[in-house]
Amino acid sequence: MDLDLLLNPIILSEILLQGMVRGSMYALMGCGLSLIFGLMGVKNFSHGEFFMLGTYMMYFVAVMMDMPFLAGIFAAAVVLFIFGMLVERSLIATLRKRAGRDWLLDAFVLTIGMMVVMQNLALLIFGSRRRGIARLVEGSVDIGPISITLERLTILLVAVLVVIVLWAFIKYTRTGKAIRATGQDPDAAQTLGIDVNRVYTYTFGIGAALAGIAGGLLISIFPAYPTVGFQPVIKSIAVVILGGLGNVPGAIAAGLLLGVIEAYSLFFFAAGWQNVITAILVVLVLMVRPYGLFSSAKGERP
Amino acid sequence: MSAVAYPEKPAFLREVTFWRVVKVLILLGFLIFVPFYSDSRFITTVFISAVMFGVFAAIYDLMIGYGGLINFGYAGFIAAGAYTSALAWFHFGISPWIGMFLGGVMCAVLGFLLGVISLRLRGLYLALMTFFVGEAIRFSIANTPEYTRGMLGLSVAPLPDLFGISFARGELLNYYYLLLVMGAAIMIFMTVLVRSKFGLAFKAMREDQLATESLGISTTRYKLYNFTIASFLTGILAGFYAHYLGILSPTPEEFGVPKTVQILTITYVGGRGTLWGSLFSGFLLIGFQEYFRALGAWRLVMFGALLIFVMLYARRGLAGLKKYVW
Repeated sequence: MDLDLLLNPIILSEILLQGMVRGSMYALMGCGLSLIFGLMGVKNFSHGEFFMLGTYMMYFVAVMMDMPFLAGIFAAAVVLFIFGMLVERSLIATLRKRAGRDWLLDAFVLTIGMMVVMQNLALLIFGSRRRGIARLVEGSVDIGPISITLERLTILLVAVLVVIVLWAFIKYTRTGKAIRATGQDPDAAQTLGIDVNRVYTYTFGIGAALAGIAGGLLISIFPAYPTVGFQPVIKSIAVVILGGLGNVPGAIAAGLLLGVIEAYSLFFFAAGWQNVITAILVVLVLMVRPYGLFSSAKGERP
Repeated sequence: MSAVAYPEKPAFLREVTFWRVVKVLILLGFLIFVPFYSDSRFITTVFISAVMFGVFAAIYDLMIGYGGLINFGYAGFIAAGAYTSALAWFHFGISPWIGMFLGGVMCAVLGFLLGVISLRLRGLYLALMTFFVGEAIRFSIANTPEYTRGMLGLSVAPLPDLFGISFARGELLNYYYLLLVMGAAIMIFMTVLVRSKFGLAFKAMREDQLATESLGISTTRYKLYNFTIASFLTGILAGFYAHYLGILSPTPEEFGVPKTVQILTITYVGGRGTLWGSLFSGFLLIGFQEYFRALGAWRLVMFGALLIFVMLYARRGLAGLKKYVW
């Protein structure tokens, strides 16, 4: 290892910027998962397949129908929102209503079944060919000595914008308030006239839409193919654990953190080890702080 | 009414009724003679897969069905066992017969460590912890090609001859009967285990951790027992898997999530907490998968749909059908 590289501030800040772009994607993917988990307690393992559907929507709208890429992202969000609501209504709600003692574990296994079904249906319908878009935006800009492509900058900006909209939605709208109330105490929310089942359905739809947006946005990095969702789902699970399960701001912070850590480990170790480092990091956090890095929750152990 | 006091039979003998003996003999006859008389390599291969994954699924059941411990990195443990035996032969020339045992020991150590680091975790948190541990094992194998040949694939020797029985690559029937013996030993061991006080403690731990603790049973200790024993059995069978297969590579399909999902599906379809249900569903699902090869990806769609159906409407799996069929 060349010590000059370690201490060169330009290289270090370039890696930092790369890491933040990477991290903004992770944060976006982790947000939806964290939202669903925080409200319903459901660990959605088919989140990666929602992501995969988002990449396909983006491809169809932006390439086959030749529309601007923002339209593709919008289409991915709308389609996945509806799809997510349908999944919740037809599958998750059935399981929740029966509400056995450990239905959450059953729901986890159910989403694994969904993952298998969706991956293989996609394989049958679309085939295994990778369909990608080389670049959403051309060109690059220089910030001081550091150069960044407009592509990456766009990803960063859209991700930030989506997160702000999500935050404002949960904070200020009636539905957002209902979601927060249900998250705090479903029984009390129901007593106050909130249709809890509908809130669950909306939330699942929103979570799926966030995965779809992430998929559409990242099509230049993850082209559309049936098993594309695997890497993203692992990263988003890692982000959600690091940030604390169900803690959406924590997921955003953890996403950025993980992105930066991975960018540095990609630079300083051989490629491939960043996955081991992520896994070890997650294991350590689960051992020492099961509630996540940014959570102050004490009391009952998970 | 005679007052003759019949001597009390031991518990395990009381369960031995005539019909049960007949049923077991029929099943054993099926397992022993069908591949022998069919004389078809295809049938033998399918039987090997079915029994192997059935027993893997039964071991999985020991964790999830009895202890309530979900191991979502199970394929990583199979990888650890398989690679230990293969590498022991590859680098040190250790006989695979000892290697299989070493694989079991390696897995037991890993299982014990996994138990230690996840002592405080339950349910979903445990699933996530085990998932990342399994992936870390797999990625570590993939990232050290100088020892394991990584993604290039490691070719593994067939088992050496034992007592004059040849285990050359083509001797499928010999591999099958070896697997039957190993599988039977593992299944009988687990059956005895779950009927002992260990089994009771496992079930109590699954039902209610707090209540179990309050009865003076250390759930921590039994969790460690469960993981260690299940991992040891996994490692031994994984050693067989390595030498039977002949080539190992740490791809996701071989040792990642798809493999774990396959085994988990067999366990859930067979019925959790039954041990033997997994063997039946192993035959059902693997047989189905092999017979309908022409359907391609549709088979996996049906696999997933079956898992969803079991979760929604048939939580006991095949075991729920037992009273109608058998």
